[in-house]
Amino acid sequence: MFKKILIANRGEIAIRIIRACRELGIQTVAVYSDADKNALHVRYADEAIHIGNSAPKESYLNADVLIRAALDSNADAIHPGYGFLSENASFAAAMASAQLTFIGPSADSIRAMGDKAESKIRMKQAGVPTVPGMEGLESEGGFEKAANEIGYPVLVKAAAGGGGKGMRVVNAESELSEGIESARREALNAFGDERLLIEKYVSNAHHVEFQVFGDQHGNLVHLFERECSVQRRHQKIIEETPSPLLTPELRQQMGEAGVAAAQAVGYYNAGTVEFIVDPDTLKFYFLEMNTRLQVEHPVTELVAGLDLVHWQIRIAAGEPFPFLQSHFTQRGHAIECRIYAEDPANGFLPSTGKLLQYIEPHGPGIRVDSGFTIGSEVTHFYDPLLAKLIVQAENRETAIQRMQAALKEFVVHGVITNIDFLQAVISHPDFVNGEVTTRWVETNFNWTPPAEPSFESLVAAALADLTILNRKSEIANQNEHDPYSPWKVASGFRN
Amino acid sequence: MKLTFENTTIEISASGKSYRATLGEKTVDVEILQAKDGKLDLLIDGQRLTAYVSSENAKRWVTVNGQTFVLTKPAAGARKSGGGHHRAAGELTAPMPGQVRAVNVAEGESVTKGQTLLVVEAMKMEIRIQAPRDGNVKKLLVKQGQTVEREQILIEIESESLAKV
Repeated sequence: MFKKILIANRGEIAIRIIRACRELGIQTVAVYSDADKNALHVRYADEAIHIGNSAPKESYLNADVLIRAALDSNADAIHPGYGFLSENASFAAAMASAQLTFIGPSADSIRAMGDKAESKIRMKQAGVPTVPGMEGLESEGGFEKAANEIGYPVLVKAAAGGGGKGMRVVNAESELSEGIESARREALNAFGDERLLIEKYVSNAHHVEFQVFGDQHGNLVHLFERECSVQRRHQKIIEETPSPLLTPELRQQMGEAGVAAAQAVGYYNAGTVEFIVDPDTLKFYFLEMNTRLQVEHPVTELVAGLDLVHWQIRIAAGEPFPFLQSHFTQRGHAIECRIYAEDPANGFLPSTGKLLQYIEPHGPGIRVDSGFTIGSEVTHFYDPLLAKLIVQAENRETAIQRMQAALKEFVVHGVITNIDFLQAVISHPDFVNGEVTTRWVETNFNWTPPAEPSFESLVAAALADLTILNRKSEIANQNEHDPYSPWKVASGFRN
Repeated sequence: MKLTFENTTIEISASGKSYRATLGEKTVDVEILQAKDGKLDLLIDGQRLTAYVSSENAKRWVTVNGQTFVLTKPAAGARKSGGGHHRAAGELTAPMPGQVRAVNVAEGESVTKGQTLLVVEAMKMEIRIQAPRDGNVKKLLVKQGQTVEREQILIEIESESLAKV
């Protein structure tokens, strides 16, 4: 087992990984950029190393500096978390050359799944259903012919892509050449690779993904699904398991497809096979595989009854995964809401600032994975995810009620958050009925914050101004350079 | 006293150990059970309510019943001008009846925006009267210890650019 692990990440996931290390008796090394000097994950680790400027490229994405930091601190392994370098095959390969263990799959698996065209070809060979489409096309005529065969609307997307970049929906033949051109341009800019593939655009679909988990000795299982259809800008905001859409038969088919997909690239450690499911036909198609731990992994942990980060570490250290597929059942229901510093009333624009108040909900079945606390700075350099609120209950109905109550108790001041928005989504009949598809937030859900502040909020604000709260802050803000300031004089009621 | 947030003005008066809050037609009795670390436990017409309030300059972050509002308060002491007209010479008035506790400036003195000019004490509170903009003290109409009425003009500030003309 490892003696010391460097965590090449920040925020809630860094803290979640540090916790797992501590439980396993492993020393931890945090890394931080200029902007994160006082961040929570830095204070939480046993050691912390400064790795560069605030811009991700000059810190959390700098593979050389991270590897040197691991060597300098005598760490045996690096956990990449999610995002940043977690799906970077060259980073995983460079670590191996430096005699360090990458806590994740092999560089080959990452590379195979990172290329959307290659992975799709491999999936077809492995018998995994894929979205009807074509790879390896170059000429416009070729795309035109393929699009007509598939039928509009179609999606052209970057082979080297990810994160919604280099992707265009084309609704008719007249838009095709422009769609190809702009997707190519974006792909070239973002990935230095202009290859595109074309496929049927499934406009009304559920996003359902399967957690897979395997060791380096050939044992690989799935840990059921996560339904992640509540999205904005192609990014998930609410995830749950089990999916309200799946039948037991469909779950079994998709689980088997997920395992087949992972086996096709010799996968080990934690991974996620993403599918889209047409709710009308219940047909499912492989979308892509994420070769890392997911943001939404806690819902799986709660329902499958396994600490995924513990097992990621143990598997990376070479231990066998001792469980078979038959060992696992889904117990109860879990939902995760991502608490973002963003303004849902203003195009989900990120909101930055210092947290003036931060209170997490507590109670039975409530878990909060957080990277911030009162006084923390939320900067524009990184993803605006503040925390993940996860609830578990015996069934979906109770889990929704628990989430509603927990969201109400979550208080964040200093940055605008999506907490009120999440409350509205979780209480909406479409969500309650499990009918939300990936474009629902954009097309079906019209949320606006209340135009007028509530009477109670005005009373509270007025009373706060009258009483101690404001008096304290006024004293703190006082220009104390003036030695004759009246605030220097003791006052009978200021205490 | 009157407190304005956004476009809404709420009037608070002390009555015994509790307060009376009026907004438009609505009036309630409010008792503060506890006020600590930005958390207010209130009794509004006998109903318990927990509110979280944080101050950030003129901004008030308020969470009540799981809903968060960001309220903006006009600068303390700035006279609310009717019809959106801003007078060049700013007359600053007492927001509530009370006593002038401190006078920090003299007539003719130049002041900077946000500077505390006077402190008025009322309803067991100290209220800072601040300069709404850079300028000069044109007229100082009160002295320390003086009792003032609500809306009574305390001081006049003329903006610098105007003074130079």
